[in-house]
Amino acid sequence: MARMKFLCDSERCIECNGCVTACKNEHEVPWGVNRRRVVTLEDGVPGERSISVACMHCTDAPCAAVCPVDCFYTTDDGIVLHDKDLCIGCGYCLYACPFGAPQYPQKEAFGVRGKMDKCTFCAGGPEGKENSEAEREKYGRNRIAEGKLPMCAEMCATKALLAGDGDMVADIYRERVTKRSGRPQSWGWLTAYQEDV
Amino acid sequence: MNTRVALKVGSLALLAVLAAGCGRATDVTVYEPGVYKGAKDPLLEMHATAEHKALLQERLTMGQTDR
Repeated sequence: MARMKFLCDSERCIECNGCVTACKNEHEVPWGVNRRRVVTLEDGVPGERSISVACMHCTDAPCAAVCPVDCFYTTDDGIVLHDKDLCIGCGYCLYACPFGAPQYPQKEAFGVRGKMDKCTFCAGGPEGKENSEAEREKYGRNRIAEGKLPMCAEMCATKALLAGDGDMVADIYRERVTKRSGRPQSWGWLTAYQEDV
Repeated sequence: MNTRVALKVGSLALLAVLAAGCGRATDVTVYEPGVYKGAKDPLLEMHATAEHKALLQERLTMGQTDR
């Protein structure tokens, strides 16, 4: 069964931060919280690459594995969501996450962080009726329930950021690579597979 | 002689203590996710239907494929 996935094509990302703005606007994310951000490697050097990063909705999510209150759940097709009513803001998920996705809205004395906030793949959270006022306030808009895909990917001007059924996303990317006539130049490829692959 | 032996033993003990600090555990602790204890999300039922999946796939084809 296919799972919902994000893929950022580093050959296409122009570091416009449109995805970040779209996400913040769509979900009215507060100051200091970035569910999505654009990371640029070797900025200013010829050959620099940018990728858009958020929660990658891991198949075997480490955040869910370390959560002491078991507030994470995964939808039928792999979207990792959490319940803010259960979250105690301990920050374990932040340490476990390889992408730095979990965000905390407060910075106070004695390490008070507030409830964790992260990308929901625009699928809201467990707050009664879909797209209710309470759900929007707590988790943001539920576009998946409306039959739409994440705003960041739908707003991407260069279609660098893809989101949806993992098999279909892979097909789109594979087709692009074939047209470019070469091996996939996705970020990290050479590090992972060396030059002779 | 006794002083020399004591010095040797002392330095060996010191080396052992210092070397112990250089050790690094290579075992990885693997945690299994627990059972979700929060409220029920109505999206889960809707999201599991074939119609909804088809709708999202159509949306992907419409908006994100290369033209």
